[in-house]
Amino acid sequence: MNDLLLRLEGVSRHFGGLKAVDDVSFSLTRGEILGLIGPNGAGKTTCFNLISGVYAPTKGDIVLEGVSTAGFPPYRMAALGVGRTFQVVKPFSTLSVLNNVQVALGLKRYGGVLSSLGPWDTKASRKEALEILEEVGIGHLAASPSGQLPLGNQRRLELARALALKPKLLLLDETFSGLRHEEAALLSKLVLGVRARGISVLLIEHNMKVAMGLSDRLVVLDHGRLLAEGKPEEIRSDPRVVEAYLGKGASAHAS
Amino acid sequence: MQLFFEQLLNGVAMGAIYSLITLGLALVYGVMRILHVAHAAVYTAGAYVGLYVFTMTGSLLLAVPAAMAACALLGTAIERLIYTPLLKYPPFVPLIGSIAVFLALEEIFRLVGGPYILSFPAEFPFPGITVRGVVISPAIISIYAVSAAVLLLLWFVVTKTELGLAMRATSQDREIAGAMGINSSFTISMTFVLGSAVAAVAGILVGIYFNQVYPTMGAVPAYKCLALIVVGGLGSLPGAVLASLLLGVGETLLIGYANIPLPRDSLAFIAMIAVLLWRPQGLLGNR
Repeated sequence: MNDLLLRLEGVSRHFGGLKAVDDVSFSLTRGEILGLIGPNGAGKTTCFNLISGVYAPTKGDIVLEGVSTAGFPPYRMAALGVGRTFQVVKPFSTLSVLNNVQVALGLKRYGGVLSSLGPWDTKASRKEALEILEEVGIGHLAASPSGQLPLGNQRRLELARALALKPKLLLLDETFSGLRHEEAALLSKLVLGVRARGISVLLIEHNMKVAMGLSDRLVVLDHGRLLAEGKPEEIRSDPRVVEAYLGKGASAHAS
Repeated sequence: MQLFFEQLLNGVAMGAIYSLITLGLALVYGVMRILHVAHAAVYTAGAYVGLYVFTMTGSLLLAVPAAMAACALLGTAIERLIYTPLLKYPPFVPLIGSIAVFLALEEIFRLVGGPYILSFPAEFPFPGITVRGVVISPAIISIYAVSAAVLLLLWFVVTKTELGLAMRATSQDREIAGAMGINSSFTISMTFVLGSAVAAVAGILVGIYFNQVYPTMGAVPAYKCLALIVVGGLGSLPGAVLASLLLGVGETLLIGYANIPLPRDSLAFIAMIAVLLWRPQGLLGNR
Protein backbone atom coordinates (compact mmCIF):
# COMPACT_ATOMS: atom_id res chain seq x y z
CA MET A 1 0.00 0.00 0.00
CA ASN A 2 2.98 2.24 -0.48
CA ASP A 3 1.38 4.11 -3.34
CA LEU A 4 -1.57 5.26 -1.27
CA LEU A 5 -1.83 9.04 -1.72
CA LEU A 6 -5.00 10.22 -0.07
CA ARG A 7 -7.37 8.66 2.43
CA LEU A 8 -10.60 10.02 3.83
CA GLU A 9 -11.41 8.35 7.13
CA GLY A 10 -15.02 8.69 8.24
CA VAL A 11 -15.14 12.32 7.21
CA SER A 12 -18.21 14.37 8.06
CA ARG A 13 -18.99 18.02 7.53
CA HIS A 14 -22.12 19.51 9.02
CA PHE A 15 -23.55 22.94 8.32
CA GLY A 16 -25.91 23.60 11.20
CA GLY A 17 -28.29 20.63 11.01
CA LEU A 18 -27.36 19.74 7.45
CA LYS A 19 -25.00 16.81 7.01
CA ALA A 20 -23.41 17.86 3.71
CA VAL A 21 -20.89 15.05 3.99
CA ASP A 22 -21.64 12.22 6.39
CA ASP A 23 -19.11 9.59 7.46
CA VAL A 24 -17.44 9.21 4.06
CA SER A 25 -14.34 7.07 3.60
CA PHE A 26 -12.43 6.36 0.42
CA SER A 27 -8.88 6.39 -0.77
CA LEU A 28 -6.87 7.25 -3.83
CA THR A 29 -3.60 5.73 -5.02
CA ARG A 30 -0.82 7.43 -6.95
CA GLY A 31 -1.54 7.83 -10.63
CA GLU A 32 -5.18 6.87 -10.23
CA ILE A 33 -8.14 8.71 -11.73
CA LEU A 34 -11.04 8.53 -9.33
CA GLY A 35 -14.45 9.85 -10.34
CA LEU A 36 -16.68 11.37 -7.68
CA ILE A 37 -20.26 11.23 -8.86
CA GLY A 38 -23.73 11.60 -7.44
CA PRO A 39 -26.92 13.61 -7.87
CA ASN A 40 -27.04 17.35 -7.14
CA GLY A 41 -26.56 18.12 -3.48
CA ALA A 42 -24.81 14.80 -2.84
CA GLY A 43 -21.84 16.54 -1.20
CA LYS A 44 -19.29 16.26 -3.98
CA THR A 45 -18.08 19.86 -3.94
CA THR A 46 -18.10 19.84 -0.13
CA CYS A 47 -15.79 16.83 -0.35
CA PHE A 48 -13.47 18.85 -2.58
CA ASN A 49 -13.57 21.76 -0.18
CA LEU A 50 -12.65 19.41 2.67
CA ILE A 51 -9.73 17.90 0.79
CA SER A 52 -8.44 21.28 -0.39
CA GLY A 53 -8.72 22.84 3.07
CA VAL A 54 -11.55 25.30 2.48
CA TYR A 55 -13.49 23.56 5.28
CA ALA A 56 -12.23 21.56 8.20
CA PRO A 57 -14.08 18.28 8.74
CA THR A 58 -16.57 18.23 11.61
CA LYS A 59 -15.51 14.62 12.25
CA GLY A 60 -13.02 12.23 10.74
CA ASP A 61 -9.60 12.69 9.22
CA ILE A 62 -8.04 13.39 5.84
CA VAL A 63 -4.63 11.82 5.35
CA LEU A 64 -2.35 12.90 2.52
CA GLU A 65 0.84 10.88 2.14
CA GLY A 66 0.54 9.67 5.70
CA VAL A 67 0.09 13.17 7.15
CA SER A 68 -3.18 14.11 8.83
CA THR A 69 -4.25 17.33 7.13
CA ALA A 70 -7.69 17.88 8.66
CA GLY A 71 -8.05 21.59 9.42
CA PHE A 72 -5.11 22.72 7.29
CA PRO A 73 -5.85 25.99 5.42
CA PRO A 74 -6.04 25.96 1.60
CA TYR A 75 -2.60 27.50 1.06
CA ARG A 76 -0.98 24.68 3.04
CA MET A 77 -2.87 22.06 1.09
CA ALA A 78 -1.68 23.72 -2.12
CA ALA A 79 1.88 23.58 -0.80
CA LEU A 80 1.46 19.89 0.10
CA GLY A 81 0.52 19.13 -3.47
CA VAL A 82 -3.23 19.55 -3.85
CA GLY A 83 -4.13 21.54 -6.97
CA ARG A 84 -7.75 22.24 -7.79
CA THR A 85 -10.09 23.86 -10.25
CA PHE A 86 -13.42 25.44 -9.40
CA GLN A 87 -16.91 24.61 -10.57
CA VAL A 88 -17.45 28.24 -11.55
CA VAL A 89 -14.36 29.37 -13.45
CA LYS A 90 -12.89 32.57 -12.07
CA PRO A 91 -9.57 33.68 -13.54
CA PHE A 92 -7.87 36.71 -11.97
CA SER A 93 -9.57 38.81 -14.61
CA THR A 94 -7.34 41.89 -14.41
CA LEU A 95 -4.29 39.72 -15.11
CA SER A 96 -3.27 38.24 -18.44
CA VAL A 97 -3.47 34.51 -19.07
CA LEU A 98 0.27 34.16 -18.55
CA ASN A 99 0.22 36.19 -15.31
CA ASN A 100 -2.59 34.02 -13.98
CA VAL A 101 -0.33 30.99 -14.19
CA GLN A 102 2.57 32.95 -12.70
CA VAL A 103 0.46 33.55 -9.58
CA ALA A 104 0.60 29.83 -8.85
CA LEU A 105 4.35 29.69 -9.43
CA GLY A 106 5.02 31.84 -6.35
CA LEU A 107 3.72 29.04 -4.13
CA LYS A 108 6.94 28.43 -2.18
CA ARG A 109 7.62 32.09 -1.43
CA TYR A 110 4.31 33.72 -0.48
CA GLY A 111 4.57 33.02 3.23
CA GLY A 112 7.79 34.86 4.08
CA VAL A 113 8.32 38.57 4.58
CA LEU A 114 11.63 38.58 2.77
CA SER A 115 11.01 35.82 0.24
CA SER A 116 7.79 37.49 -0.90
CA LEU A 117 9.58 40.75 -1.68
CA GLY A 118 11.35 39.29 -4.69
CA PRO A 119 10.08 40.03 -8.19
CA TRP A 120 7.34 37.77 -9.53
CA ASP A 121 7.60 38.56 -13.22
CA THR A 122 10.97 37.00 -13.98
CA LYS A 123 12.20 35.45 -17.21
CA ALA A 124 12.25 32.04 -15.56
CA SER A 125 8.66 32.30 -14.33
CA ARG A 126 7.45 33.54 -17.73
CA LYS A 127 9.16 30.64 -19.42
CA GLU A 128 7.78 28.11 -16.98
CA ALA A 129 4.25 29.54 -17.19
CA LEU A 130 4.37 29.55 -20.97
CA GLU A 131 5.45 25.91 -21.02
CA ILE A 132 2.48 24.95 -18.89
CA LEU A 133 0.12 26.97 -21.09
CA GLU A 134 1.51 25.25 -24.17
CA GLU A 135 1.05 21.91 -22.49
CA VAL A 136 -2.68 22.59 -22.08
CA GLY A 137 -2.84 24.03 -25.58
CA ILE A 138 -3.38 27.75 -24.98
CA GLY A 139 0.20 28.99 -25.28
CA HIS A 140 -0.86 31.31 -28.12
CA LEU A 141 -3.26 33.11 -25.75
CA ALA A 142 -0.61 33.92 -23.12
CA ALA A 143 -0.86 37.68 -23.56
CA SER A 144 -4.67 37.83 -23.73
CA PRO A 145 -6.71 39.31 -20.91
CA SER A 146 -7.96 36.28 -19.00
CA GLY A 147 -11.46 37.64 -18.35
CA GLN A 148 -12.47 37.45 -22.00
CA LEU A 149 -11.57 33.83 -22.81
CA PRO A 150 -14.34 31.52 -23.97
CA LEU A 151 -15.35 28.88 -21.44
CA GLY A 152 -13.30 26.03 -22.89
CA ASN A 153 -10.10 28.04 -22.73
CA GLN A 154 -10.91 29.33 -19.23
CA ARG A 155 -11.17 25.72 -18.11
CA ARG A 156 -7.77 25.03 -19.61
CA LEU A 157 -6.36 28.08 -17.88
CA GLU A 158 -7.73 26.74 -14.60
CA LEU A 159 -6.03 23.45 -15.31
CA ALA A 160 -2.78 25.26 -16.17
CA ARG A 161 -2.91 27.21 -12.89
CA ALA A 162 -3.48 24.03 -10.92
CA LEU A 163 -0.64 22.26 -12.76
CA ALA A 164 1.70 25.18 -12.03
CA LEU A 165 1.49 24.18 -8.36
CA LYS A 166 3.20 20.90 -9.38
CA PRO A 167 0.50 18.94 -7.61
CA LYS A 168 0.51 15.32 -6.56
CA LEU A 169 -3.26 15.36 -6.56
CA LEU A 170 -5.43 17.27 -8.98
CA LEU A 171 -9.05 18.00 -8.06
CA LEU A 172 -11.21 18.80 -11.08
CA ASP A 173 -14.63 20.20 -10.23
CA GLU A 174 -16.94 19.72 -13.25
CA THR A 175 -14.18 20.72 -15.60
CA PHE A 176 -16.06 19.19 -18.53
CA SER A 177 -19.49 20.69 -18.01
CA GLY A 178 -20.75 23.10 -20.64
CA LEU A 179 -18.05 22.14 -23.12
CA ARG A 180 -18.60 21.11 -26.71
CA HIS A 181 -17.85 17.49 -27.51
CA GLU A 182 -14.49 18.19 -29.21
CA GLU A 183 -13.36 20.45 -26.36
CA ALA A 184 -14.28 17.79 -23.82
CA ALA A 185 -12.38 15.17 -25.79
CA LEU A 186 -9.26 17.37 -25.86
CA LEU A 187 -9.51 18.00 -22.15
CA SER A 188 -9.92 14.26 -21.48
CA LYS A 189 -6.69 13.69 -23.32
CA LEU A 190 -4.99 16.30 -21.18
CA VAL A 191 -6.22 14.64 -18.00
CA LEU A 192 -4.91 11.28 -19.18
CA GLY A 193 -1.58 12.97 -19.95
CA VAL A 194 -1.46 14.41 -16.44
CA ARG A 195 -2.10 10.99 -14.97
CA ALA A 196 0.62 9.51 -17.13
CA ARG A 197 3.05 11.78 -15.26
CA GLY A 198 2.05 10.12 -12.00
CA ILE A 199 -0.37 12.79 -10.80
CA SER A 200 -3.54 11.42 -9.24
CA VAL A 201 -6.80 12.95 -10.37
CA LEU A 202 -10.04 13.20 -8.43
CA LEU A 203 -12.83 14.50 -10.61
CA ILE A 204 -16.40 15.54 -10.07
CA GLU A 205 -18.38 14.96 -13.20
CA HIS A 206 -22.03 15.15 -14.15
CA ASN A 207 -21.60 13.71 -17.59
CA MET A 208 -21.71 9.97 -16.92
CA LYS A 209 -20.09 9.11 -20.22
CA VAL A 210 -17.07 11.27 -19.44
CA ALA A 211 -16.85 10.07 -15.84
CA MET A 212 -17.11 6.39 -16.78
CA GLY A 213 -14.68 6.78 -19.68
CA LEU A 214 -11.95 8.56 -17.75
CA SER A 215 -12.06 7.09 -14.29
CA ASP A 216 -10.29 3.98 -13.10
CA ARG A 217 -12.72 3.79 -10.20
CA LEU A 218 -15.80 5.70 -9.15
CA VAL A 219 -17.13 6.78 -5.78
CA VAL A 220 -20.84 7.52 -5.66
CA LEU A 221 -22.21 9.93 -3.07
CA ASP A 222 -25.86 10.46 -2.25
CA HIS A 223 -27.20 12.82 0.40
CA GLY A 224 -23.72 13.18 1.83
CA ARG A 225 -23.19 9.45 2.28
CA LEU A 226 -21.03 7.03 0.37
CA LEU A 227 -23.43 4.98 -1.71
CA ALA A 228 -21.13 2.80 -3.77
CA GLU A 229 -17.53 2.44 -4.82
CA GLY A 230 -16.02 0.42 -7.63
CA LYS A 231 -14.98 0.11 -11.25
CA PRO A 232 -17.11 1.93 -13.82
CA GLU A 233 -18.75 -1.25 -15.08
CA GLU A 234 -19.70 -2.29 -11.53
CA ILE A 235 -21.14 1.14 -10.80
CA ARG A 236 -23.10 1.24 -14.04
CA SER A 237 -25.01 -1.86 -13.11
CA ASP A 238 -25.37 -1.14 -9.39
CA PRO A 239 -29.12 -0.89 -8.70
CA ARG A 240 -28.56 1.51 -5.76
CA VAL A 241 -26.78 3.95 -8.04
CA VAL A 242 -29.43 3.77 -10.73
CA GLU A 243 -32.05 4.35 -8.06
CA ALA A 244 -30.24 7.37 -6.62
CA TYR A 245 -30.07 8.98 -10.04
CA LEU A 246 -33.45 8.01 -11.45
CA GLY A 247 -35.59 7.46 -8.39
CA LYS A 248 -37.16 4.39 -6.82
CA GLY A 249 -38.59 1.88 -9.23
CA ALA A 250 -36.33 2.94 -12.04
CA SER A 251 -33.81 0.22 -11.29
CA ALA A 252 -36.31 -2.44 -12.33
CA HIS A 253 -36.63 -0.84 -15.76
CA ALA A 254 -32.95 -0.11 -16.12
CA SER A 255 -31.82 -3.67 -15.50
CA MET B 1 0.78 84.86 -10.54
CA GLN B 2 3.40 84.26 -7.87
CA LEU B 3 0.66 83.61 -5.33
CA PHE B 4 -1.06 81.27 -7.73
CA PHE B 5 2.03 79.12 -8.11
CA GLU B 6 2.65 79.07 -4.39
CA GLN B 7 -0.95 77.97 -3.85
CA LEU B 8 -0.59 75.34 -6.55
CA LEU B 9 2.52 73.97 -4.83
CA ASN B 10 0.65 73.89 -1.53
CA GLY B 11 -2.28 72.17 -3.18
CA VAL B 12 -0.11 69.43 -4.67
CA ALA B 13 1.57 68.99 -1.28
CA MET B 14 -1.82 68.56 0.43
CA GLY B 15 -2.82 66.16 -2.34
CA ALA B 16 0.36 64.14 -1.84
CA ILE B 17 -0.37 63.84 1.87
CA TYR B 18 -3.98 62.83 1.19
CA SER B 19 -2.72 60.19 -1.18
CA LEU B 20 -0.42 58.73 1.48
CA ILE B 21 -3.39 58.28 3.82
CA THR B 22 -5.85 57.23 1.14
CA LEU B 23 -3.57 54.55 -0.30
CA GLY B 24 -3.68 52.66 3.00
CA LEU B 25 -7.47 52.73 2.90
CA ALA B 26 -7.54 51.61 -0.73
CA LEU B 27 -5.12 48.74 -0.01
CA VAL B 28 -7.16 47.56 2.95
CA TYR B 29 -10.43 47.89 1.06
CA GLY B 30 -8.88 45.83 -1.72
CA VAL B 31 -7.84 42.81 0.31
CA MET B 32 -10.57 42.88 2.96
CA ARG B 33 -13.51 44.88 1.56
CA ILE B 34 -13.60 46.85 4.79
CA LEU B 35 -13.90 50.64 5.11
CA HIS B 36 -11.01 51.19 7.50
CA VAL B 37 -12.12 54.37 9.28
CA ALA B 38 -9.66 53.71 12.11
CA HIS B 39 -6.85 54.22 9.58
CA ALA B 40 -7.03 57.94 10.41
CA ALA B 41 -6.34 57.10 14.05
CA VAL B 42 -3.28 55.14 12.94
CA TYR B 43 -2.19 58.27 11.10
CA THR B 44 -2.68 60.35 14.26
CA ALA B 45 -0.73 57.77 16.25
CA GLY B 46 2.08 58.18 13.72
CA ALA B 47 2.17 61.92 14.37
CA TYR B 48 2.25 61.41 18.16
CA VAL B 49 4.90 58.69 18.17
CA GLY B 50 6.95 60.71 15.70
CA LEU B 51 6.68 63.80 17.86
CA TYR B 52 7.62 61.94 21.07
CA VAL B 53 10.63 60.27 19.54
CA PHE B 54 11.64 63.56 17.93
CA THR B 55 11.30 65.39 21.26
CA MET B 56 13.39 62.76 23.02
CA THR B 57 16.11 62.33 20.44
CA GLY B 58 15.91 65.47 18.32
CA SER B 59 16.23 63.32 15.22
CA LEU B 60 13.67 62.95 12.48
CA LEU B 61 15.70 60.09 11.06
CA LEU B 62 14.86 58.15 14.21
CA ALA B 63 11.34 59.53 14.62
CA VAL B 64 10.08 58.45 11.21
CA PRO B 65 11.09 54.76 11.36
CA ALA B 66 9.94 54.52 14.98
CA ALA B 67 6.53 55.92 14.05
CA MET B 68 6.31 53.63 11.03
CA ALA B 69 7.08 50.58 13.15
CA ALA B 70 4.62 51.60 15.88
CA CYS B 71 1.86 52.22 13.34
CA ALA B 72 2.57 48.96 11.52
CA LEU B 73 2.04 47.20 14.85
CA LEU B 74 -1.09 49.19 15.65
CA GLY B 75 -2.55 48.57 12.19
CA THR B 76 -1.99 44.81 12.28
CA ALA B 77 -3.35 44.69 15.84
CA ILE B 78 -6.57 46.34 14.63
CA GLU B 79 -6.73 43.86 11.77
CA ARG B 80 -6.09 40.79 13.92
CA LEU B 81 -8.16 41.74 16.95
CA ILE B 82 -11.08 43.57 15.34
CA TYR B 83 -11.49 43.03 11.61
CA THR B 84 -10.58 39.38 11.13
CA PRO B 85 -12.94 38.16 13.86
CA LEU B 86 -15.72 40.39 12.48
CA LEU B 87 -15.21 39.43 8.84
CA LYS B 88 -17.86 36.72 8.95
CA TYR B 89 -20.58 39.29 9.65
CA PRO B 90 -22.21 41.69 7.13
CA PRO B 91 -19.93 44.58 6.10
CA PHE B 92 -21.58 47.14 8.39
CA VAL B 93 -20.40 45.21 11.47
CA PRO B 94 -16.65 45.64 10.84
CA LEU B 95 -17.41 49.22 9.79
CA ILE B 96 -19.00 49.92 13.18
CA GLY B 97 -16.06 48.15 14.80
CA SER B 98 -13.73 50.42 12.87
CA ILE B 99 -15.55 53.59 13.96
CA ALA B 100 -15.46 52.36 17.56
CA VAL B 101 -11.69 51.76 17.35
CA PHE B 102 -11.25 55.19 15.79
CA LEU B 103 -13.13 56.98 18.61
CA ALA B 104 -11.44 54.90 21.31
CA LEU B 105 -7.98 55.70 19.95
CA GLU B 106 -8.84 59.42 19.81
CA GLU B 107 -9.71 59.26 23.50
CA ILE B 108 -6.47 57.44 24.23
CA PHE B 109 -4.51 60.17 22.42
CA ARG B 110 -6.37 62.74 24.52
CA LEU B 111 -5.52 60.90 27.75
CA VAL B 112 -1.90 60.27 26.90
CA GLY B 113 -0.99 63.37 24.92
CA GLY B 114 -3.35 65.88 26.49
CA PRO B 115 -6.39 67.60 24.97
CA TYR B 116 -4.39 70.46 23.48
CA ILE B 117 -2.47 71.12 20.32
CA LEU B 118 1.20 70.17 20.52
CA SER B 119 3.65 71.82 18.20
CA PHE B 120 6.07 69.81 16.09
CA PRO B 121 9.12 72.05 15.96
CA ALA B 122 11.15 70.05 13.47
CA GLU B 123 13.41 71.98 11.16
CA PHE B 124 14.72 70.68 7.92
CA PRO B 125 18.48 70.75 7.52
CA PHE B 126 18.28 72.52 4.18
CA PRO B 127 16.99 75.91 3.05
CA GLY B 128 13.98 76.68 0.90
CA ILE B 129 14.29 77.65 -2.73
CA THR B 130 13.03 80.74 -4.50
CA VAL B 131 12.30 80.34 -8.20
CA ARG B 132 11.35 83.62 -9.95
CA GLY B 133 9.91 84.97 -6.76
CA VAL B 134 7.97 81.78 -5.93
CA VAL B 135 9.04 80.60 -2.48
CA ILE B 136 9.31 76.84 -2.02
CA SER B 137 9.68 76.08 1.68
CA PRO B 138 11.80 73.22 3.01
CA ALA B 139 8.59 71.62 4.34
CA ILE B 140 7.08 71.59 0.85
CA ILE B 141 10.28 70.16 -0.61
CA SER B 142 10.29 67.43 2.03
CA ILE B 143 6.65 66.58 1.44
CA TYR B 144 7.28 66.27 -2.28
CA ALA B 145 10.41 64.20 -1.90
CA VAL B 146 9.07 61.89 0.81
CA SER B 147 5.70 61.39 -0.88
CA ALA B 148 7.32 60.65 -4.21
CA ALA B 149 9.67 58.14 -2.59
CA VAL B 150 6.86 56.43 -0.66
CA LEU B 151 4.55 56.31 -3.68
CA LEU B 152 7.33 54.85 -5.80
CA LEU B 153 8.10 52.25 -3.16
CA LEU B 154 4.45 51.26 -2.80
CA TRP B 155 4.07 51.07 -6.56
CA PHE B 156 7.10 48.82 -6.70
CA VAL B 157 5.85 46.53 -3.94
CA VAL B 158 2.33 46.23 -5.35
CA THR B 159 3.21 45.73 -9.01
CA LYS B 160 6.61 44.05 -8.96
CA THR B 161 6.97 41.84 -5.91
CA GLU B 162 5.40 38.50 -5.15
CA LEU B 163 3.82 40.04 -2.08
CA GLY B 164 2.12 42.57 -4.36
CA LEU B 165 0.95 39.81 -6.66
CA ALA B 166 -0.41 37.95 -3.64
CA MET B 167 -2.20 41.15 -2.55
CA ARG B 168 -3.78 41.60 -5.96
CA ALA B 169 -4.79 37.96 -6.16
CA THR B 170 -6.29 38.11 -2.66
CA SER B 171 -8.22 41.27 -3.63
CA GLN B 172 -9.73 39.60 -6.64
CA ASP B 173 -10.67 36.27 -5.15
CA ARG B 174 -9.57 35.12 -1.75
CA GLU B 175 -10.70 31.54 -2.28
CA ILE B 176 -8.78 31.06 -5.51
CA ALA B 177 -5.75 32.88 -4.11
CA GLY B 178 -5.75 30.32 -1.29
CA ALA B 179 -5.90 27.46 -3.76
CA MET B 180 -2.87 28.99 -5.52
CA GLY B 181 -0.87 28.70 -2.32
CA ILE B 182 -1.33 32.25 -1.12
CA ASN B 183 -1.63 32.61 2.65
CA SER B 184 -4.32 35.26 2.63
CA SER B 185 -4.17 36.10 6.34
CA PHE B 186 -0.43 36.75 6.09
CA THR B 187 -1.01 38.80 2.95
CA ILE B 188 -3.70 40.86 4.67
CA SER B 189 -1.47 41.51 7.67
CA MET B 190 1.34 42.63 5.39
CA THR B 191 -1.12 44.97 3.68
CA PHE B 192 -1.90 46.55 7.04
CA VAL B 193 1.81 46.82 7.82
CA LEU B 194 2.41 48.68 4.55
CA GLY B 195 -0.65 50.95 4.71
CA SER B 196 -0.13 51.81 8.37
CA ALA B 197 3.58 52.58 7.99
CA VAL B 198 2.73 54.94 5.14
CA ALA B 199 0.01 56.59 7.27
CA ALA B 200 2.65 57.22 9.95
CA VAL B 201 4.75 59.11 7.42
CA ALA B 202 1.69 61.18 6.48
CA GLY B 203 0.99 61.94 10.15
CA ILE B 204 4.52 63.24 10.72
CA LEU B 205 4.49 65.30 7.51
CA VAL B 206 1.18 66.94 8.45
CA GLY B 207 2.39 67.51 12.01
CA ILE B 208 5.45 69.35 10.76
CA TYR B 209 3.74 71.15 7.90
CA PHE B 210 1.03 72.70 10.10
CA ASN B 211 3.19 72.53 13.24
CA GLN B 212 0.27 70.87 15.00
CA VAL B 213 -0.37 67.48 16.57
CA TYR B 214 -3.67 66.97 18.40
CA PRO B 215 -5.98 64.11 19.35
CA THR B 216 -8.67 64.78 16.74
CA MET B 217 -6.38 65.55 13.83
CA GLY B 218 -7.63 62.35 12.20
CA ALA B 219 -11.30 63.31 12.31
CA VAL B 220 -11.46 65.10 8.99
CA PRO B 221 -9.08 62.73 7.11
CA ALA B 222 -11.10 59.73 8.39
CA TYR B 223 -14.13 60.68 6.34
CA LYS B 224 -12.43 62.68 3.63
CA CYS B 225 -10.23 59.77 2.64
CA LEU B 226 -13.23 57.45 2.52
CA ALA B 227 -14.75 59.90 0.04
CA LEU B 228 -11.46 59.85 -1.86
CA ILE B 229 -11.32 56.08 -2.34
CA VAL B 230 -14.89 56.26 -3.67
CA VAL B 231 -13.95 59.08 -6.05
CA GLY B 232 -10.84 57.22 -7.21
CA GLY B 233 -12.68 53.95 -7.69
CA LEU B 234 -12.96 51.55 -4.73
CA GLY B 235 -9.75 49.57 -4.40
CA SER B 236 -8.00 51.33 -7.31
CA LEU B 237 -4.59 52.56 -6.18
CA PRO B 238 -3.86 54.91 -9.11
CA GLY B 239 -7.42 56.20 -8.69
CA ALA B 240 -6.78 56.92 -5.00
CA VAL B 241 -3.65 58.91 -5.85
CA LEU B 242 -5.32 60.82 -8.68
CA ALA B 243 -8.37 61.69 -6.57
CA SER B 244 -6.14 62.82 -3.70
CA LEU B 245 -4.00 65.08 -5.88
CA LEU B 246 -7.07 66.59 -7.58
CA LEU B 247 -8.67 67.23 -4.23
CA GLY B 248 -5.57 68.81 -2.72
CA VAL B 249 -5.22 71.17 -5.67
CA GLY B 250 -8.96 71.76 -5.90
CA GLU B 251 -9.32 72.65 -2.23
CA THR B 252 -6.38 75.00 -2.28
CA LEU B 253 -7.14 76.75 -5.55
CA LEU B 254 -10.94 76.88 -5.58
CA ILE B 255 -11.52 77.66 -1.96
CA GLY B 256 -8.22 79.20 -0.90
CA TYR B 257 -7.28 81.15 -4.02
CA ALA B 258 -10.52 81.73 -5.93
CA ASN B 259 -12.39 82.36 -2.70
CA ILE B 260 -15.40 80.24 -3.51
CA PRO B 261 -17.52 80.51 -0.36
CA LEU B 262 -17.66 76.85 0.57
CA PRO B 263 -16.20 75.14 3.60
CA ARG B 264 -12.90 73.65 2.48
CA ASP B 265 -13.71 70.17 3.69
CA SER B 266 -16.96 70.01 1.73
CA LEU B 267 -15.25 69.67 -1.63
CA ALA B 268 -14.34 65.99 -1.13
CA PHE B 269 -17.95 65.13 -0.41
CA ILE B 270 -19.31 67.19 -3.31
CA ALA B 271 -16.88 65.29 -5.52
CA MET B 272 -18.01 61.99 -4.02
CA ILE B 273 -21.69 62.76 -4.65
CA ALA B 274 -20.91 63.84 -8.21
CA VAL B 275 -18.95 60.66 -8.84
CA LEU B 276 -21.68 58.48 -7.36
CA LEU B 277 -24.23 60.16 -9.62
CA TRP B 278 -22.28 60.19 -12.87
CA ARG B 279 -19.53 57.64 -12.62
CA PRO B 280 -20.28 55.18 -9.83
CA GLN B 281 -17.22 53.07 -10.60
CA GLY B 282 -15.01 56.08 -9.73
CA LEU B 283 -12.42 57.92 -11.81
CA LEU B 284 -10.21 54.90 -12.46
CA GLY B 285 -12.36 52.05 -11.16
CA ASN B 286 -13.23 49.20 -13.48
CA ARG B 287 -16.29 47.74 -11.85
